[in-house]
Amino acid sequence: MAAEIDDAYLVQRAREGYVDAYAELVDRHGQLAYRVALRLLGNHHDAEDVAQEALVAAWQQLPGFKANSRFSTWLYQIVTRKTLNRITRTRATQSLDLLGDIAATDDEPARQTERDLTAAAVTAAVAALPPPQRIAIVLRHFEGLSNAEIARITESTIPAVRSHLFRGRRTLSQTLGQWR
Amino acid sequence: MTDSGQPVHDVRQLLSGTRHLACGTDIDDLLEQAADGHAGQLTDHQRGCPACQAALQEFSRVWAPVRSLAAEHVAVPAALKTAVASQIRKLVADVWCTLQLSDGGAIRIAGRVVATIAREAARNVPGVRVAFGRSASSTAATPAERTTLRRRHPQAAAGVLGRTAVVDLAIAAHYGSRLDAIAYEVQQRAIAELRAKAGLQNVTVNVTVDDVIT
Repeated sequence: MAAEIDDAYLVQRAREGYVDAYAELVDRHGQLAYRVALRLLGNHHDAEDVAQEALVAAWQQLPGFKANSRFSTWLYQIVTRKTLNRITRTRATQSLDLLGDIAATDDEPARQTERDLTAAAVTAAVAALPPPQRIAIVLRHFEGLSNAEIARITESTIPAVRSHLFRGRRTLSQTLGQWR
Repeated sequence: MTDSGQPVHDVRQLLSGTRHLACGTDIDDLLEQAADGHAGQLTDHQRGCPACQAALQEFSRVWAPVRSLAAEHVAVPAALKTAVASQIRKLVADVWCTLQLSDGGAIRIAGRVVATIAREAARNVPGVRVAFGRSASSTAATPAERTTLRRRHPQAAAGVLGRTAVVDLAIAAHYGSRLDAIAYEVQQRAIAELRAKAGLQNVTVNVTVDDVIT
């Protein structure tokens, strides 16, 4: 099977003005931008706006992209910044719109409803965390990134990330412990 | 058990008191282990410590819905890619090829459309792994575009190019292919397609093979 064209190649072409190379990057990483925004903001509408802003901003900022970085890491950074701006401007929403995004399954309705409620409760609990803890929790426990990667994305330090994670995990556990 | 020596099976109790269990284990380390989904990977100490095992079980139970939500597939809204492409097109200075000018008005094709036709022609050539196209006339069109943009008539930006199009194609080919032959085929097919599909007469297609894919 032929190897996948790597992101670095696409980034280079996009920087040279090949718009469709950037379209390929959006194809690959659009989900990342939307998914992170959705987990951080807790509702579809804001997440779609933020993902769109972030992907356009990434195009505009391509000349400043460092060739030794990974495009995905850079995009995480842009999405989290845009999300923080949104949170600061509007204050965090606790909408439970995430319910609409849960894929339908063949489960019996009662079981599906329980799963929806559980997902909504987790979403609300994450959305209620202070922004630094929320970002750390989402990047670590939803995106599976390491503390070092989170520190790079947030331009922070590993001890600071660990501290936000500790506090975020405790708060989230207590909230979910009450609910269960 | 926390420092008090009593077994604890409730997460709020576990987290409300001291940071350590009676055995000396840091509660946050156990919470991290469970949140990461590694509660089943017990250390030597944990294998012999009921307090650690109880805490790990409780944290795992509480974090199960988080891990379940994290594993859910998130579908991207269908409109996202289109909206991004549309915004980027507005940001890119484009050139226009004028096909026809008459008393009835002008017929123009955007440079990006010309580039797309060339790109698609290139992608169908055997041995081509990926192809990207761009209209290469932007240097010639820039002064006209700057003028018209200042006047806020972007639609009139570059009818200056007549039926001439210059397209750059960057291609990556399969490793082991005969690169010059592929590039020539790409060039000929793109020219033919641009003539057939866009009615362009003077077409120049520059092909750069800038990567090989193994």
